[in-house]
Amino acid sequence: MHIMEGFLPHPWWEMWFIIAIPFIAYGVYKLTKITKKIPEALPLLALMGAFVFVLSALKLPSVTGSTSHPTGTGLAAVIVGPAITSVLSLIVLIFQALLLAHGGLTTLGANVFSMGIIGPIVAYMIWLTCKKMRLSNSVGIFFAAALGDLLTYIVTSIQLAFVFPTGTGFFNAFLKFSGVFAITQIPLAIGEGILAVMLFDFLAKYKGQLLDKMKVIKLPQSKTVQETAKQ
Amino acid sequence: MEHSHFYAQIDRYAYTNALAKCSPITKGFFAVSALLISVSSSSALLSATIFLITTIVTLYVAKIPFHFYFDMFTLPTIMLMLSCLFIALFFGYGEKLAEIGMLGFTWVIFKNGVTLSITTFLRVESALSCLFFLVLTTSITDIFITLRKIKVPKTIVELSLLIYRYIFVFLEVSAKMNTAQTLRLGNSGFINRIRAIALVAGNLFIRTLEQGERTFIAMNARGYDGNLHVLEDLPKPTKIALIGIALFDAAMLVLIILTISIGVI
Repeated sequence: MHIMEGFLPHPWWEMWFIIAIPFIAYGVYKLTKITKKIPEALPLLALMGAFVFVLSALKLPSVTGSTSHPTGTGLAAVIVGPAITSVLSLIVLIFQALLLAHGGLTTLGANVFSMGIIGPIVAYMIWLTCKKMRLSNSVGIFFAAALGDLLTYIVTSIQLAFVFPTGTGFFNAFLKFSGVFAITQIPLAIGEGILAVMLFDFLAKYKGQLLDKMKVIKLPQSKTVQETAKQ
Repeated sequence: MEHSHFYAQIDRYAYTNALAKCSPITKGFFAVSALLISVSSSSALLSATIFLITTIVTLYVAKIPFHFYFDMFTLPTIMLMLSCLFIALFFGYGEKLAEIGMLGFTWVIFKNGVTLSITTFLRVESALSCLFFLVLTTSITDIFITLRKIKVPKTIVELSLLIYRYIFVFLEVSAKMNTAQTLRLGNSGFINRIRAIALVAGNLFIRTLEQGERTFIAMNARGYDGNLHVLEDLPKPTKIALIGIALFDAAMLVLIILTISIGVI
């Protein structure tokens, strides 16, 4: 969904920046807090960033002035929370603009809003809902990653439809853009969901304690008691 | 990853071009101001002017080889053309340019849809040329130092440095795993290839995390306190260059006003 450099004209790119800034500011505040409290979480945060970078660099061209690719922000949102994910996405999107000429600096606001803010928030809400419904972690992660990915593309379609209207109105333009995205994006979203489930299982197995500390999953009570006794 | 190869070349030019020793603040000021001007107007004339000037600066002042610069533009331009075609054919309203009767439908192409697609095409090309100038003349390290100087929050810069490092760990680990698998006939045949990809996808993440944690422990052992201290001996921006760029920006702004008052698109 990286909208190309310069694809959004004058009032729109500034507007998306203004909308994205409060979320980013809150994310930076959260990030500073968590790195002070749990310094050993920093490598995991950076890894999530690199993961988002690699996944969203696997792009397929799309005729909408942007590209189609997995986002990886759904899994990141579940593990590090949507606020920090927005900062990670900002950094990743700047790198992609500078290193791969993918996306752009002026469209950063719009891209961060779709991939770093709405996608992760939706993914996180789905994850919380699934947890409340006592569904298994795998089901929750799958839906969070897949739907978070799709929502990102719906937001991008809305952003493009504002800029390029048709005679029959905004909704028609939105349908045209989202229709083009849907062809490539629905299979990608399902693939991303499966990948996220696999990775989350790995992480829970090897880094369960860290995830427990970051309040992502709850380890069985007996184990945590044992560990506090050890310390 | 085919990206890494292309990226390695961009990185090489960022360190070896004729403007590499120039202050990153000057280069950043030129690129970002030209970028902002070119995206804030939809005038085709302005876009073309900025595109020509930044291209000339990149090719003749920074001395980037023409064929590489051309290669960088190829893929985005092809995608952009398809997108603009899509806009010209399906979008717009008001005055009709052409009507095509086809299988019982009438397909209308609107005049302002076509204008919109042409101005968008030129605007994106000029914005890309500004971005490419920055990318090809300034190394990521310089950009980090500059970001720290202009008081971007410390946590963001630190996390960016770590992510930057991890991207390469990711690429290295996956390249090593691929080699190991190929040596053991892992990529022979379709079924084996699928199995190999699944194994890499599963293990890549955890391997990278482990390597990253080892780095983190090593950094902590050497007194890492959340700040990476590096020697920041970058050249200072010269006043003449900054004034020159400001004059260029002013000229471009005058051009915007002129195109609006004359009514050229």
